[in-house]
Order: sequence, then structure tokens, then C-alpha cells
Amino acid sequence: MLKLTILAAAVAMFGLPQAVSAAETEQVFTFYCAQCHGLEGKGDGPNVSKDFPVSPRNFTNADEMNKLSDADLKNVILDGGPAVSKSAMMPPWSKTLSEADVDGLIAHLRKLCACEGKKG
Amino acid sequence: MRSALAVGLAAAALVAAATPGRADPAAGQAVFEAKECAACHYTEGPAREKTIEDQQAKKGPELWYAGSKFQQPWLEAWLQDPKPIRPLKYTSLTEDNPADHPALGADEAAPVTEFLMSLISDEVEAGVIKPKKKPKGRLVFTKKMPCSGCHQFPTKKPFSGGRTGPSLVGAGERLNPDWIYAYLSKTSVFKPVRMMPNFDGLLSEKDMKAVASYVANFK
Repeated sequence: MLKLTILAAAVAMFGLPQAVSAAETEQVFTFYCAQCHGLEGKGDGPNVSKDFPVSPRNFTNADEMNKLSDADLKNVILDGGPAVSKSAMMPPWSKTLSEADVDGLIAHLRKLCACEGKKG
Repeated sequence: MRSALAVGLAAAALVAAATPGRADPAAGQAVFEAKECAACHYTEGPAREKTIEDQQAKKGPELWYAGSKFQQPWLEAWLQDPKPIRPLKYTSLTEDNPADHPALGADEAAPVTEFLMSLISDEVEAGVIKPKKKPKGRLVFTKKMPCSGCHQFPTKKPFSGGRTGPSLVGAGERLNPDWIYAYLSKTSVFKPVRMMPNFDGLLSEKDMKAVASYVANFK
């Protein structure tokens, strides 16, 4: 009983971990990701010029996006390109984004590619 | 001896008085207010931004730590001839910088610089970072982390790099080397909501100092 009371008090004080809404995710995507991946996720953000050393992922390319599982996406967002043997031009966002932000972004990317990705 | 000293001090005071605006942040603040600079820049800390919306609602960078961030000669010259620093308009991803920052006359720029240079943050430790063109800093800037993805920096071209961050061309004249390190290591103090990733905890203190020294060397 005491445990339940403490739990209830903790929830009242701090709230349950909230999922990020689609609108909030869109804002996160626009603020951070679109710099390189573009507002529509086509890999054509304002940083991408002819001397940009790699092509940022085009999230609307279902063939490419289907090669990646959701866990791969999570790894690359949190720990950067080198975590999945890709370019260091993709920085690590683990100290910037919350877990809920990242989950929201993965859902957003799946919407952009209209694909489910590799399973497992 | 004592009278010679007194004469010297009086002469120094005269010189100071003869230079308009020098050592008078209050006069600069009056110009800052009259010119309505505060419509785009806030000058009292701590940082106010808590959400992405807060940051995107701003029209220009916060200046509450301007005296810790900038170098005085650069600031005074820039206020008279303000060229874009970020290639894109503030917070925008689609519009170019309109290059429409108002220019001040020399008589206004001097006191406004005094005012802005009086806005100091005690979170910036002085004398820690010396500008150095060391390979380690270059390695962190160009390979370990993708700084060049968003920031222009000097190369043989004469510069390369992305457009969504402030250009770092000329950072050696513009920025206080110690502030560069503080900005990297104390994100929550200076820019709690920013488009740049937080590297604190991802880069070692040594790497952050090396990259700060490297950026502080940019011509």
C-alpha cells in the first residue's frame, strides 16, 4: 500500500513519461534534422552543397529505408553515423534529444518512407 | 614623486574624458535602448529559452553574455559595418540572411560596444584556451564531429562548410577563445535550446579544448 502511495505521489509530482505528439515531432525534425535532411526529408537540407562530403539520407526512399530496422535508426540518431558504420557527418544526438523525441522521430521517418523497415 | 603621479592620473582622466563614450557602458545602454536593439536582442541573463518555440520566436541572438563572447575591436567595427555572420536568416532554413542589420555611426558604436562588453558571464573561465592550429583540433572539427556540416570555416577555397550555423570564418578575430570552450561545455547555460547538438559528455574535455583552440585560430 505504501509503495502504491509513493508511486502515486511520484506520478503526481513528475507525471508519467509522455509520448511526443506528431506535431511536436515535426517541430523537432524541422529544428534539428531538416538542417541536412531537408524539411521534407529528401536529403536536401540547406547545408547540402556540392562540397558536402556525403549525401544525407533521403527518408522518402523506401528501398533504402527498408534496409534499416527501427533499432538501426535509433542507434544512428543517438550515437551518430559511425555507430552504424556510416559517415561522421551525422552527429550523435543522445545528449540533445529525449528518448521520447527519438521514438517520435522514428515514427516520423516511417511515415516519410511509407515503409516498415527491416524487422528484428 | 607623488605630485608627478597625480599629474599623470589627471592626464589619464582627461584622455579618457576626451574619448567619447569610452568606459561608459551607461551611455551605450542609452543608445542601445534608443535604437530599439532590444526588439531583437535581450541583454539580461540567464537564458530564457526553454522550448524550440522560444528559440524560434527570437529575431536575433541573445546578448546577455556579449562581453564574454566577443572581442571588443571586432564588435566595434562590426556594429559600424554589420555583415551577415549566419548565411541564412536567423533561425530560418529557407531564407538567406537579408543583411539588413542596422549600422551604427562611430560615435554610437563606441559606447554601445562598451555596454555590450560589460555584459559578462562568470561561467566563462578566463585564460584557459589559447588559439592554436593543432592537428588534434582539426581532427575533432572535421572528422570526429561534423562541425563543418553546419559551419563555414576557412580553407584554400577560401572557405567550405554548411550554412545553418554561424560562419566561423574570422572566428579568431570575433570570438573570445575561452567563450568557445564554455559554449561547447556548458550548453544549458548559454544556449539551452539550439540547433547544434550538445557535445558535453560526448567529447572529452581535452577534445573540446582542442577544438576551441582550433576555431579560435580561424582567420
